[in-house]
Amino acid sequence: MIEGLLVMGLLGAVLGLGLAIAAKVFYVYVDPRIEAVEELLPGANCGGCGYPGCSANAKAIVEGKSPPSSCVAASAEVIQKIAEIVGAKIELKEPEVARPGCKYGVEKAERKYIYEGIKDCRAAVLINGGEKECPVGCLGLGTCVKSCPFGALSIGPEGLPVVDTSKCTGCGTCERVCPKGIIKLSSNSLWIIHEYTTDECTAPCQRACPAGVDIPGYIRAIREGKYEEALIIIKRSNPFPAVCSRICIHPCEYECRRNLVDEPVAINPLKRFLVDWEREKGIHVQVPRAPEREERIAIIGGGVEGLTAAYLLNRLGYRTKVYEATDRLGGLLWIGLPENRLPRDIIKWDIDGIIEAGVEVELNRVLGKDITVSSLLKEGYSAVCIATGGWDIRTYIGSGNSELPGIQFLLDFLLKNEEGRTVDIGKSVLIVEGGRSAVEAAKICRQKGAKDVYVIMRSKKEDVFIEGEEIRFRTVLTGMEGEGERLLKAEICEISDDGKRILKKEEISVDTIIIGAGRFPELVYVPKENGWKTISPYAGPNSEHLIGIFRPGEPVSDYRAAVEAIGAGRRLAATVHKYLRGIEPVALENMIRKGVKVLDVEDVRDVPPIPRQMLRSRSRDELIRNPYLEETIGFTEEQAKKEAERCLQCGLICYRKQ
Amino acid sequence: MGDYIVLVISCIFINNILLMQYLGNCPFLGVSKRMETAVGMAMAVVFVLVMAGAVTWVVYHYILKPYELEYLRTLSFILVIASLVQFVEMFLKKNIPALYEGLGIYLPLITTNCAVLGVCIINIKEGYNFLQTLVSSFSYAVGFGLALVLFAAIRERILLARVPKPLQDTSIGLVTAGMLSLSFFAFKGMIH
Repeated sequence: MIEGLLVMGLLGAVLGLGLAIAAKVFYVYVDPRIEAVEELLPGANCGGCGYPGCSANAKAIVEGKSPPSSCVAASAEVIQKIAEIVGAKIELKEPEVARPGCKYGVEKAERKYIYEGIKDCRAAVLINGGEKECPVGCLGLGTCVKSCPFGALSIGPEGLPVVDTSKCTGCGTCERVCPKGIIKLSSNSLWIIHEYTTDECTAPCQRACPAGVDIPGYIRAIREGKYEEALIIIKRSNPFPAVCSRICIHPCEYECRRNLVDEPVAINPLKRFLVDWEREKGIHVQVPRAPEREERIAIIGGGVEGLTAAYLLNRLGYRTKVYEATDRLGGLLWIGLPENRLPRDIIKWDIDGIIEAGVEVELNRVLGKDITVSSLLKEGYSAVCIATGGWDIRTYIGSGNSELPGIQFLLDFLLKNEEGRTVDIGKSVLIVEGGRSAVEAAKICRQKGAKDVYVIMRSKKEDVFIEGEEIRFRTVLTGMEGEGERLLKAEICEISDDGKRILKKEEISVDTIIIGAGRFPELVYVPKENGWKTISPYAGPNSEHLIGIFRPGEPVSDYRAAVEAIGAGRRLAATVHKYLRGIEPVALENMIRKGVKVLDVEDVRDVPPIPRQMLRSRSRDELIRNPYLEETIGFTEEQAKKEAERCLQCGLICYRKQ
Repeated sequence: MGDYIVLVISCIFINNILLMQYLGNCPFLGVSKRMETAVGMAMAVVFVLVMAGAVTWVVYHYILKPYELEYLRTLSFILVIASLVQFVEMFLKKNIPALYEGLGIYLPLITTNCAVLGVCIINIKEGYNFLQTLVSSFSYAVGFGLALVLFAAIRERILLARVPKPLQDTSIGLVTAGMLSLSFFAFKGMIH
């Protein structure tokens, strides 16, 4: 008995002592903050922060490798507490939520076969891509639902995942497990910079929209009576709904699938109904703004394109200021459109909305006279966007000297030469395009004492009947660099015949670039070590080539109609945002462009014809009495609801059947 | 040599600690939902069991037996194993952080797991010498790992199957464990 007590007691004492010594010997310093942070983190180990688990992220946060806001699941309070522990500044992140990208469940979609296997999309997709005919259709087996660490997903009555937005933290687990990439994270910012691709479900109308508005989305919102939501859906792609509702060339309506049955849905009048509703309420509906960012961005040109870029960049969280040469915003909208088509208060309504959102404006500031690119960069702007659109030549002549560092317009250069005025071109000149006149200009440059004269053309040598030793064919201008008001370098690239690949990149030092185009494209000037460089927005859907500052197709398309300029403005904003966030501003490989084949249907079944709602016209007498009165009256709510019912809510090959 | 091979096979298959002796069912059901955790647990068990087997053998033969205190076996084994795991954890954290990261959370979980204690007691009961103890501990641990990994694989499959509501989760787990155990009965009689 005594022996037992002694042995056990001794054993315990020895082991206890041993452990005590070991605790000292093998002591590892662990930052107590790591544990404190880890305790605050939700512990879901969802991986939304980019680290394998909460403890890994806690370590990264304390070590400063990961910001306190990196946890997508943590509430604002928790982030605040974490920031206090590590003493870091909080950079708030715009919340993101999962958005299922498929509209019709398996029951309602065209099927290749009937699947009876393991209830998991990852297994189902192995058999010829799943049972749906559509390659980007949701299989509805709930892999995302099972993977969601927060229980925010469920399979709804349609057989499609439904998101409980109050529970969704935007961790992206569902996006990572979905074998078809259908469920994706979404936020207003992501919408603004989004381009439609061939690998997602899109309707013919939204693919046709130059501004990329989610048309079925806003029509569905009208049907459900959510007018504010509908306006937000429009405004995150197009901040000019009022103007567009009057004068849009509506390419969407020509593509509407209802054309195969009766008449297209009155897409544009539906937008007009929303605008009328907004104006009646007297409040500008705004896209929710992302948390304020530090960068400031200047936009040259207060036309539709410049204002679109300014508005969308503002919504992305940047502070934006528009510099306009004339005394009013809106550019070409005020000119050439009769008042009974586009009433002036409609233009004002949209512009007021943009200014109300927080876009700053300076009027009567002419580029090259009152401000220059480098003076703006010196003021601390992180990017200067050129959105001078259709007026370049005019403002250029108006200001009297070169508005962009080292840039001359070819026609103007020849005119000045003819008139005997002096033009300073420096020692080295690059002439971009301009056909025969380029060769002429090259000769003049040499006479004026330029040593190196380069002429570059996009066309193939065989296609052009010009000769000249200095001409380089299949070569384009891709970038410029300079210091202050001086242009120093130009980056030119030799491209492949299809215009998609760069074969050879070369930097040449030049003093002047003479451009053959009459219009200067959208361009972004960003600061660089003692100077600046340019970034080109990625090629839009109309562009025939992908590389270069001047791309065929775009100079015509981008200001052919207001909605085209809006699209170009959005691409400008997306480019600036991507560049500033460290993402290379190039278009996605599978972006939908003109001529890209997209899965579609050729005929529509089980859709009964319903007549289109017509806009009511004002009486002849009324119009004669007041010639400035708008000719038509917008939809009533009842008409709008009826018209919205006509929408087939198309997907790639699905649509609403009776 | 032949004896050792027989010992290894009998410990892994015939007397599988989980499926034939029904020890350590708690982690068997607890960490078998995902393959990743199952593998981590199996590794930790191998590690701890070999060390515990060795230490308890020494404690039994050099402390308890000389003083005729065999009746304190369970108590002293728990004490020794718990301290040992604590010690190992500290040692690993300091000297082999990579291994610590890998086994991290599983080590304290199995401090006084019944499978660990059970194997130590079996070793004594069978009257193994020190080398036999090491081999048997290792083999039992491997058997534990084998059963756990097999079970985790089956459970991952079951997750995708349509299971009737009353049978979901643990109940289907127990049913599966029973069937897996039955299949291990086939090894009985391989060696006498």
